[in-house]
This record gives sequence, structure tokens and C-alpha cells, in this order.
Amino acid sequence: MITAEYRQSNSMLLQVREVSKTYLYANNQKHVVLNRVSIDINDGEFVTIVGSSGCGKSTLLNIVAGLDRPDSGTILVKGKHKTSTDPGRLVIFQEGALFPWLSVLENVEFGLKLAGVPKSEQMQAAIRFIDMVQLSKFAGSYIYQLSGGMKQRVAIARALTMNPDILLMDEPFAAVDMQTREMLHNQLLQIHDETKKTILFVTHNLNEALALGTRLIVLSPRLGSIKREFSINLPRPRDVESPQITVIKRQILKELEEEFQFVRRENTVR
Amino acid sequence: MLEEKTQLDKRHSRAKLDVTDAANVALFLAAFLGIWQFVFLLRIWPEFLMPSPAMVLGSITNLVANSSLVVGTGVTLLRLAAGFLMSIGIGGAVGLAMVKFPGFGKTMSSFAVGLLTFPSIAWAIFAILPFGYNDMAILFVIVMASVFSVMITTYSSIRNIPPIYLRAASNMGAKGFALFQHVMIPAATPSLILGIRQAWSFAWHALIGAEILITITSEPGLGYVMSSARNFHFMGDIITVMITIFAIGIVFDRVLFRKVEEKVRSRWGLDDRSE
Repeated sequence: MITAEYRQSNSMLLQVREVSKTYLYANNQKHVVLNRVSIDINDGEFVTIVGSSGCGKSTLLNIVAGLDRPDSGTILVKGKHKTSTDPGRLVIFQEGALFPWLSVLENVEFGLKLAGVPKSEQMQAAIRFIDMVQLSKFAGSYIYQLSGGMKQRVAIARALTMNPDILLMDEPFAAVDMQTREMLHNQLLQIHDETKKTILFVTHNLNEALALGTRLIVLSPRLGSIKREFSINLPRPRDVESPQITVIKRQILKELEEEFQFVRRENTVR
Repeated sequence: MLEEKTQLDKRHSRAKLDVTDAANVALFLAAFLGIWQFVFLLRIWPEFLMPSPAMVLGSITNLVANSSLVVGTGVTLLRLAAGFLMSIGIGGAVGLAMVKFPGFGKTMSSFAVGLLTFPSIAWAIFAILPFGYNDMAILFVIVMASVFSVMITTYSSIRNIPPIYLRAASNMGAKGFALFQHVMIPAATPSLILGIRQAWSFAWHALIGAEILITITSEPGLGYVMSSARNFHFMGDIITVMITIFAIGIVFDRVLFRKVEEKVRSRWGLDDRSE
């Protein structure tokens, strides 16, 4: 488990401090999506957040990215307050965030071009990360020519090129088939090993979270906050069917089942 | 490897298509000229109303030799370029302001939609009194005929950009002019091209009409050449100018707009429905 000593330290890479967010619907009904959520993430950690749809995990990720504003609470990166979006916290979206008017290479260079990096350096960096996601052959291709999994690899390369402090992944592999997803998991783990990037990964897929994270956070739609946290100190790549994982999985499923029953009850009452 | 092969196949089939296209066009032209000649030989109408293809060819060589066709084309194209560029400048700027200020955008867009379908020939009549018979009047007509189309296109193309592109770009640090230049403009391009093409055709229609109504003898555009030929009952000359107008239309549409559009569409993968 992550100890109290971590929580007190200021050397945290990312601190989510008591973040709350409420959505107001057209019929004036309030929906508390996040209720004073706090998470501390240390440099190099791979944290996964699981929860059913509507539990606010994507909202949380967008707030961390600065793409969405919290009603209250703060985001700190290396101790500094962050109120707007910047390339230090890059999001890998679920899909469709690559630019179809640019080639793979140009997409990956895009952030560096914005930053005013000289052309030759842009290219060097882009090629390095395109190699890392094993798409060198497709550097000149256009986005529509790629499969779903390849597109997400380009998105990862595009983010890595900008050398962010943290990668925020918003169900990035939800739209690819199972075999491809497994391949992407292994590639992501390799990248994590190689680059030691801090990753915050949101998913509704429990097996995915179990396979990837060093820490797993269960978000509750009922509380709008963290239900429970698990530390998974098992070597990766992992077999999600292994006995050790299964033990953890059962505990998490129990937590999720409670949430599910709550949601079902609430829906029938309404 | 597979990809390379399909691309080669595509190129190969495109070349084959070009040959078939050319053959079809030649066949169509031959049939058209044949029917024309046949109708001419029936002598239903007098020669000055219904000249033969050969007679029109004579008019063409004549008009080329006395340089009125070349001058006319030049004058008309210069007006088109000036008027259309003004339209793009004004329409683009107002369109962007409409995006920036949503209240203005909403009002302006219903206003512009109304003017979009407004007959350009009415603008020609309107322009004569304040401007007189000069280039300004003709430019005014071109601009009024096409500026609203450019405006609406700019407005709607930018508003319809998928938000995910803008979110991703701002996440990567794009803001202000960089966001506009590197994301909004390219993201809006496929739809911008369609609108600009439409605006061009509005401008072109309006220009020829304006040249016919607003006669400027010192700078005879194609419209003027045509209307003065009518005064002398030179049907061959009229048809010659019509052929020229037709050819210019085809050149712009096929060569300029279609090429740009094809390039953009193939980049975005909008053409390969089979994939």
C-alpha cells in the first residue's frame, strides 16, 4: 500500500487536492460527479482508475489535464498549482484525436512544431518515438490508413515526443479488439519501463487495470470519490488469470458489485 | 507491402480511367458536333441565327486574330480575380467574427442566408446608379454575389470542427493564432473548399451578367463582347464567347478546385469508401 509518508511529502509529481465537480442538468437536478477527491501520484507510478460509466473518472482526468475546471479543489504538479491545460499533462483520448490532415510523422511532430523546436530536432524526436511504438514503416501514412490500434500508438508517440510529466490515458484502448488490446498493453508496459513516465490510466475494464497498474483506484459513483485503493506489486506483464491477481480481483469485484447494486436501487426508486 | 501494392493498383486503375474518360469526352463532342451540323443542314433557321460549327470556328479565329477574345478573357479574369479575392477577404473576416461573437453570428447567418439566394442580376441594376458604368460597379456585383457564401462557409466550417481536435491541440499547447493556423484552418478545409467552390460559381455567374448590363467600352470583358455581338447580329461571335465562358468554367472547376479537393479528400481518406 502507498504509505502515509508519501502523502505528506511535497515531492509528489501530481497532487489532486479535494477536487469536486457537480453537473447541473436541464431539469435543475444536480449530479455530484466528484466529491472532494484527493489522489497523490509519485514520479514514475502507473496508476489506474476503475469505475462504472458515470463514476466521474473521465471528468477527473479532464480536470487533471486542465481541459475541465473543478468547482473546487486544486491540481498540483511538482508542487505547483495548475489551472490551465499544458503539454506537461498530455491526454491520450479514447479515439479520434489525431489530425487527419497530417501524416503520422507530422502528427507526432505537431507539439514540437507548436513549441518552436527546430525542424531537424522535431523530426529526430518524432522518429525516435515512432520507432518506440513500432510504426516506422508508417511514418509517411495518413491517419485513415491506420487501424484503431495503430492510431492509438501514434497518439502515444505524439504525447511522448513532448516529454510530458504525466500521461493521462482516457480509456485509450476501449475501441480496439481484445487481441490488439493485449498487444497494446505489452507495448505500453515496455514504454513505461523504458521512459519511466508517470501514467494515470482510466478504464472501466477491470482486467485492463489489473494488467497494467502498480496502483489501482476504485472510484465510486455513489460517493463521487475514491472507494478503495489497491497496490499491485506484481511483476508485469501479468497474467490476469493468475491466483494472486484473482485474489485482488475478487476484492475489487466486491466493491464494484456494491456500487452496481446501489446504482440499480437508485434507478428503480426513480 | 500490401499497402504499396494497393496504391500501385489504384494508380494503375486511375490511368486507365483517364483514357476511358478522354475517349468518352471525344465521343460526346463528336456526337454533339454531328447533331449540330445535321440541324444546320436542315436549314430550319437562317444562317445568322444558326451558324454551322465551321462558321463558328471562323468566328473563333476571327476573334482571336483581332485579339478581342484574348483581351476580353483577360479583362474578365482580372475582374473575377479581384472581385473574388475581395469576397474571400471580406467574407472570411466577417465569418470569423461570426464565430468569435456568437450573437452576431446567429443574426448575421440568417441575414446572409437570405442574401445568398438573392439574384445577382438585381445587384447589377442597383450598382449602376451609385457607381456608374465602371469597374467598381462590376466588382461590387461580384462581391455581393459571392461574399455571403464565403461568410456562411467560413462560419459553419469552423463551427463544425470536431471539438476533439481543438481539445487535443490546446492540450498540446496550441492557442491563439497557432491554434487557428495549425488546427482550425486545416480541420475546416474540406468543407471550406466546397463552399469556396460554390462562392466561385456565384461570382462567375454574376460577373458575366454584370458585364452584359454594365457596359464599359474601354475595357471590353467577355460579357461586353457578347452583348455587342448581339447588336450586330453576329451569332458566331456570341457562340464563341459562350464556348469561352464554358471553357473557363471547366478549367476552374476541374483543374483548380477539383484537384485541390481531391488532394484534401485523399489525405483525409474521404475517397476510399471501400476501406
